[in-house]
Amino acid sequence: MKLRAVREGLILIALAFLPAIGEGIYFRDKVSWQSPIPASELVTVDRARSWGDSAIWVDARPDEEYSRDHVPGAFSLNEDHWSELLARFLPHLSPDKKVVVYCSAESCNAARDVAKRLRDEAQLKDVFVLQGGWEEWVKKSK
Amino acid sequence: MGEEEQMRYAWRVVDLIVGGIFVYAGVSKVLDPVQFANDIDNYKTLPWFVSVRLAFYLPWLEILCGLAVISRFFYRGGLSILTALLAVFISATVAAKMRGLDITCGCFGHVSKNWNFSTHLVLDFAIFAAVLALSFGNSRHRVEL
Repeated sequence: MKLRAVREGLILIALAFLPAIGEGIYFRDKVSWQSPIPASELVTVDRARSWGDSAIWVDARPDEEYSRDHVPGAFSLNEDHWSELLARFLPHLSPDKKVVVYCSAESCNAARDVAKRLRDEAQLKDVFVLQGGWEEWVKKSK
Repeated sequence: MGEEEQMRYAWRVVDLIVGGIFVYAGVSKVLDPVQFANDIDNYKTLPWFVSVRLAFYLPWLEILCGLAVISRFFYRGGLSILTALLAVFISATVAAKMRGLDITCGCFGHVSKNWNFSTHLVLDFAIFAAVLALSFGNSRHRVEL
């Protein structure tokens, strides 16, 4: 009985690859396979700095970390107080400005999530995630 | 209808419910694999390139296993895989909570987006109990509907 379960299980595991590969081929251009954020949506610290006043900085870290220190002029916009902070942030936007979102480091997801919500909910187009986040900003500022 | 027959039908109903839940869960994720990849990535246990590949694979495995339970074709294999998947998923959810991660499970696509941790866990354990019951208690009560 156990052997039968193992054999059946292995066949199901193998069979599931077929539609998965098909779907993967269908979505091949719509998915970023190596990084959760597509390269076109990432920006380096140097490049973002070169944008000067045409960039608006958004700090997606928790309130305490923002209070401790942040990129000069950055707005706090995290998912803990989304509606309240978004309402404060939106009046400062203009169509010609690029939005640069950052969180603590390369490994954090908050910047990606906030950038996605800004694109989906606030209908913003030029939204970028800062490569390396706050950690990289500090390193480059030394 | 004798008691034995009633039991068989009751088990068959559990088969259909459990199988149906996994087919539904799988289809809801197949429709948005990128979102599911993000949900897996939120657990912060696997690198992205693994998460995104799993996001394409796991939903189909769930669908096939769900169909196996519903159709009783490869029934034991389907139940074994579902048991393993649930065990891994429950462990990952509890571990994520213990690490202080506030995440959405993504188990049922957009439907489960706003469920809290307790709701996830209660539902997961209920399904886990049903799958275990089918694995160990159902063998004497087989019937085709």
